[in-house]
Amino acid sequence: MVARIRKGVLSNFDWVFLTFALLIPLCGLVVLFSAGYDAEGTVDLFGLLSVNFPSSACLKQATYILLGMVVMGIGMAISSQTLHRYAFGLYGVALVLLIAVAGFGVVVNGSRRWLSLGGINLQPAEFMKLGVIVTMARVLSRRPPKNGAAYALTELFVPALVIGIPMFLIARQPDLGTALSLGIVGITQILFVGVRPKALLSVVASVLILAYPAWEMLHDYQQRRILVLLDPESDPRGSGYHITQSKIAVGSGELFGKGYRQGTQTQLEFLPEHTTDFVFSVLAEEWGFVGCVTLLGLFFGLFASMLRIAGRARDMFACLVAFGITAQVFAHVVINIGMVIGLLPVVGIPLPLVSYGGSSMLSIMFGLGIVQGIGMRRLQFRAG
Amino acid sequence: MALGLAAFCVFALTLRLWHLQIIKGEFFRDRSENNRLRTVYVPPSRGLIVDRNGEVLVRNRPSLNVDLVIEDSPNPTDTITLLAEIVGQDPATLLEKLTRQGKRSKYEPKLILRDVSRDMIAKISAQRHRLPGVIISVVPARDYVNGELAAHLVGYIREISGDQLKNTSYAGYRMGDVVGQSGIEGRYERYLQGERGSQAVIVNASGNKIGAAYSHLALPGSDIVLTIDRKLQEIADRSLAGRKGAIVAMNPQTGEILAAAAAPRFSPGIFTSEMSKEVWTDLIEGKDHKLTNRVTQGAYPPGSVFKIFVAAAALAEGVVTPQEKFRCPGYMKMGGRRFHCHKHSGHGSVNLFEAIVQSCDVYFYTVGQRLGVDRIFRYAHDIFDFGEPTGLDVGDESSGLIPSTQWKARYFRNPEDKKWYPGETLPVSIGQGAVTTTPLQVARGISAIVNGGKVLKPRVVMKVVASDGRVLEQAPAGPEIIRSIDLDPTIFEALKKAMVGVVEHPRGTGHKAALPKVAMISVGGKTGTAQVASKESGVKDDDHAWFAGFAPAEDPKIVVAAILENGGHGGAAAAPVVQDLFAAYFGVPDEEPLPVDTKKNKNRRP
Repeated sequence: MVARIRKGVLSNFDWVFLTFALLIPLCGLVVLFSAGYDAEGTVDLFGLLSVNFPSSACLKQATYILLGMVVMGIGMAISSQTLHRYAFGLYGVALVLLIAVAGFGVVVNGSRRWLSLGGINLQPAEFMKLGVIVTMARVLSRRPPKNGAAYALTELFVPALVIGIPMFLIARQPDLGTALSLGIVGITQILFVGVRPKALLSVVASVLILAYPAWEMLHDYQQRRILVLLDPESDPRGSGYHITQSKIAVGSGELFGKGYRQGTQTQLEFLPEHTTDFVFSVLAEEWGFVGCVTLLGLFFGLFASMLRIAGRARDMFACLVAFGITAQVFAHVVINIGMVIGLLPVVGIPLPLVSYGGSSMLSIMFGLGIVQGIGMRRLQFRAG
Repeated sequence: MALGLAAFCVFALTLRLWHLQIIKGEFFRDRSENNRLRTVYVPPSRGLIVDRNGEVLVRNRPSLNVDLVIEDSPNPTDTITLLAEIVGQDPATLLEKLTRQGKRSKYEPKLILRDVSRDMIAKISAQRHRLPGVIISVVPARDYVNGELAAHLVGYIREISGDQLKNTSYAGYRMGDVVGQSGIEGRYERYLQGERGSQAVIVNASGNKIGAAYSHLALPGSDIVLTIDRKLQEIADRSLAGRKGAIVAMNPQTGEILAAAAAPRFSPGIFTSEMSKEVWTDLIEGKDHKLTNRVTQGAYPPGSVFKIFVAAAALAEGVVTPQEKFRCPGYMKMGGRRFHCHKHSGHGSVNLFEAIVQSCDVYFYTVGQRLGVDRIFRYAHDIFDFGEPTGLDVGDESSGLIPSTQWKARYFRNPEDKKWYPGETLPVSIGQGAVTTTPLQVARGISAIVNGGKVLKPRVVMKVVASDGRVLEQAPAGPEIIRSIDLDPTIFEALKKAMVGVVEHPRGTGHKAALPKVAMISVGGKTGTAQVASKESGVKDDDHAWFAGFAPAEDPKIVVAAILENGGHGGAAAAPVVQDLFAAYFGVPDEEPLPVDTKKNKNRRP
């Protein structure tokens, strides 16, 4: 299953990509040190040892990054042929788990997202993210557009199902953020291959028509979050609190920020979820516009190098996988930052590589590893 | 293309960040500061009001307020409803108070009940666990040491009204602040108020204190030293107990007000705590007009007191000599109508001295006729300053009215009514008709006669002393002279002599103002018995009793004007009141004046 990495392949290693992929979580560590600061904090590392360190989130995240680098290596080792072979299998297992979640999932904070398997908590949606990407890549690469370079509407039925079924299951949990990002990634992959303008138009039209029943299906709190986005001041103590406080944190950073560990919104805990979903606001408050633009620049560099790899991939499948992963990370970055600066609704998506959290870190590092692996194997295709 | 899309998205995010952090950065910086800092205001203690000898008239005492901190109250409406039940008040009233202060930060205590009794506090404390967010705060409240003493002069304080808040002269005040509404409290509000202190603490999102940011101490208000003499004021107030009227005592040499009493009064203390609607309605709309300061706001016909000023005009204009005599048959015929003297049997032949001593109306009808109304107006209004506010610093004043042909032409619409009829001059000559004056104007007019012609600006504030002892305002050492009347000094002497006659001459109308002979202080004055135009037709009210006097006659130190509404005869009712004040002022033992055998003057008939 795991192919050997040949020596010649190593020469294709993309150091620029790796640099971006490590610089961003390192910046994240710096921000997390401040965001999770607790002068008398002791950190309990996985029940193994207890360390005196003033920021639990920072220290734990450091271990996640280290673990993430291991996972990244594993991702690198998986060839696109292997992914191709097990694409449907991965998708199938993830789907079964999602259905199982709907049946026996554990309810946390009002949503049924987790599956408890003998002490280990699984979030099947995480698997499905990769599952959709590889399955879509396989479906789309197997069936290129019949005439010319663009799909007609009828040809999109199967891909639509591939995206639609897990989206529906995840949205029901409810986990709107993940469902949306799943949809965005799949659709981006389709658009990457090409869609006839007529087909695109009819899809857009039907989405608009379906928007109303979809809106009706949303939970009250989800509707409220979207409404609050339009007018956050309408409910400053309820749903609007997160957005309002986040905007205050971001805006009050001004050009150069309030200084490291000087962010009052963060340190006095006015900013909610400041180590996870709203970690970008901490950066914005303490480092200002300059810090924000720097991080955005790093992300842009990351995407550019990922897209370069996708462009050079050995085949259509590998290209679509690399592109899908790029699209996924990109979508998360835009949705998360858009959310904390009040451009998009609060959907609970962490900032890739920066937000505190093991699952998110590991799954993204794994994805980046796969992209690196695709890049490394590009010359095999040329030689072969 | 994909890269282009990524670039576009990153650009859009950057644009938004630019908007939030650079363009609106300052706005959000403020908002984050507001989040972080909780400011608690500390009310300053209000300045004291003391009398000329330093005796405290109004001070402060600690009082207990009940406040609500919204942030700590999960359901303010329920809490208030329960609180209202405990104290036995209407929940709607208390809730309305809460919403009126709605714009404040949710951390800042909002005033619910002011100056609550200790018993009530005990009841509230017993239920404390059911009243989350309710706190008891100790704040200074007004303490009226002498109860109702000089209530109108001192004035009252009350929570600032919505209209006042909108007024620019109250810039810097906040809802819930207590401000002076009348009298000295109102006029000297800016001095008395002091400066609010504030304390800012840094709090975290759960409202816990993390540290102190800054604190400004409250600056106590400045003290006001009045020219009032508490003892004299007390006697003046007591003299009016159960009556309607006003008494004002003034130093004729300086214009200092020594006492200013008006009745009916209100108790300024009732404004410090919660007041029921009935009490408020009675104050504002009641027929007693308890809030009216009759010393400056009561415009009464002066009656015979006015004769002094008509006499001054007559002598100055030379229309009569002091020796010239007129016969008083008890009435005067004019235009086919009889104008009666108050003594229907007549005074016989009287000169100026006798006319003043016996208050002969017919003499003054004649003199008034010779002068004409416009010359009376010129002296009364232009020279003795009747018909104009005195400028005493205690609030709005009535200007009173001195009629003239011009006034009548201006005042009436009907061309018939605009004309002045000679018959109308007669009542004006004896201080009736359209003539009205305030007690303070009378005191000032009499002062001008007895001090040799100086019309003074009356004053009640001696100085304003800041809490650190600095004198912020000081009345000038000498009198503030509005006008020095340029008349032959003999005129003033003749009038003074006649007024001493009113008290001391066997036929005088004002014996009851005389001090006991042992005191060796001679008193002068003039009685007045003013007819009251009955408001309801057919019912005739009793006359207003006036007395305006001065002492000692040789070198007057004090002038007192007193009016008792519907008090009857001036000599019988008002003169003893003035005598009481003189006795107190000169420290004369309380003793009945020697009985003088005179015929009691009858009240005039219509």
